[in-house]
Amino acid sequence: MKKIILFIVFATIVKLTAIAQDYHQSLEGIEWVKIESKSSIIVKAYDKNELLIKAGNRGKINEKTKGLRLVGEDGTDNTNIGFYVIKEGNNLIVRNLKKNEHAIIYLPASQNISVKTTWHGDINIFNFTSEIEAAAELNGSVAIKDVTGPITANSLNGEVQVSFSKVSQKSPITIYSTNGELEISLPKNTPADLSLYSTNGDIYTNFDISTPSKKGMKSVSSKKIKGTINKGGVNIKLNTTNGNIYLRKR
Amino acid sequence: MMKKNHITELIPEYLDGLLSESKKEEVRLHLKECELCLKELEEYKTIFNAFEEEKEVIPSERIRTNFFEQIEIEKQKKSKVVPLITSTSKKEKTFSYLLKVAASILLLVGGYSLGNYQQEQKGNYKIAQLQEKTQKIKQTAMLSLIGNKSASKRIQGVNYIDEFSNPDEAIVAALVDRMLYDENTNVRLTAVEALSNFITSEEVKNAFIKALKIEKAPAIQIIIIQVLVKIQEKKAIIPMKKLLEQNETQPFIKEQIKSSIINIV
Repeated sequence: MKKIILFIVFATIVKLTAIAQDYHQSLEGIEWVKIESKSSIIVKAYDKNELLIKAGNRGKINEKTKGLRLVGEDGTDNTNIGFYVIKEGNNLIVRNLKKNEHAIIYLPASQNISVKTTWHGDINIFNFTSEIEAAAELNGSVAIKDVTGPITANSLNGEVQVSFSKVSQKSPITIYSTNGELEISLPKNTPADLSLYSTNGDIYTNFDISTPSKKGMKSVSSKKIKGTINKGGVNIKLNTTNGNIYLRKR
Repeated sequence: MMKKNHITELIPEYLDGLLSESKKEEVRLHLKECELCLKELEEYKTIFNAFEEEKEVIPSERIRTNFFEQIEIEKQKKSKVVPLITSTSKKEKTFSYLLKVAASILLLVGGYSLGNYQQEQKGNYKIAQLQEKTQKIKQTAMLSLIGNKSASKRIQGVNYIDEFSNPDEAIVAALVDRMLYDENTNVRLTAVEALSNFITSEEVKNAFIKALKIEKAPAIQIIIIQVLVKIQEKKAIIPMKKLLEQNETQPFIKEQIKSSIINIV
């Protein structure tokens, strides 16, 4: 019996600390949520209309930090979970101040988001129907899955993976990487104007790209591939300097 | 007879090839001397051509009613009608009647064609005005998109450059601004590519040199270098050498600079 009571008490404490590790914020009047982090970040869509941050190392509390506040070069922890969150006009700035701890951020699927990692942070974004901007500025990779776009993404050294559930025709999609590979998949019936270009890498695709012909001759040798799929549509530009480009039918 | 008088009334038959050989000759000779008649001939030709081209003109309801009203009015004023040919021999009477009919038809058709022509001119002017207006609208749309919060929209704005064959200063300035200062690398990259088509402009060239000094993204650096080397821009040498000295410059950028700097002479 004692053991059971002890377990319940223990479970409650764990639960309480877990709650303390969550941060909620209203999104009223917010057009863009701008997330910045040095470490990896996961952004997922969920069905509530507010921001929820679940910090890493859940339930584990560093005794040494008790009574102290985390200060980083980009702001002070005003959430108690190592994040600095502030409204700037109709932007909500969300900064992960901890350099080595990943976090999961939940947002409504229609929320426009901009995610940037510096240092080693990987960016993972799932299930959004909104506009997404992602930049892995140093060694991180970018993975954006089951989204509609528009997407504006880039990386320096990491690979960039984007899989579209459907492709929004609203405004252009541009994805590039300097040293990483691009791995892009689109539904096979996607109408789009494609522009694929790689300085030193190779380009692979299983789409039938209709290229504009000059006097009946198709240009095949050009480094820059410009053409349409499914009679043309939104602009999709994929560009690498040193990595390969893989464009797949989904 | 015809030498003294003008031959205007013979022109329709002349053009239709209905005159006898002798009269044809007369007309031809007269035309050689008389500018007035020659001009008349040209006008008839124009009208005939218009007649030829205007295959099936269906006048509007309003023109039709006006036409009949006019005929009524003309009928009442019949006495006032000035005959086209004042003095003619009996021989030519039937002929002159036919001519009158032909002339009135010609006048009608000619008037209509002239109206049409003027309308068309007006239309062309309107089209020109509209084109100018659309160009203005496009420019406004472009500049507004370029100022948008969303990077994708700004890229859309930059891509609008394809709509302008001869972009004006405001557009070039807006693109230069995006190339140098946009926070999003994709936007800067798109702006560099768009502006590289206008590299012959001094303003764009200087902007590229400036971008080479401040740009940190290697994917953009390499394009700037390629564009400036292609036009053998000497001002690019110093910033390129600086990039060679910097530790954070990517190795492939250094390679590119080393292999291309010797090409600028």
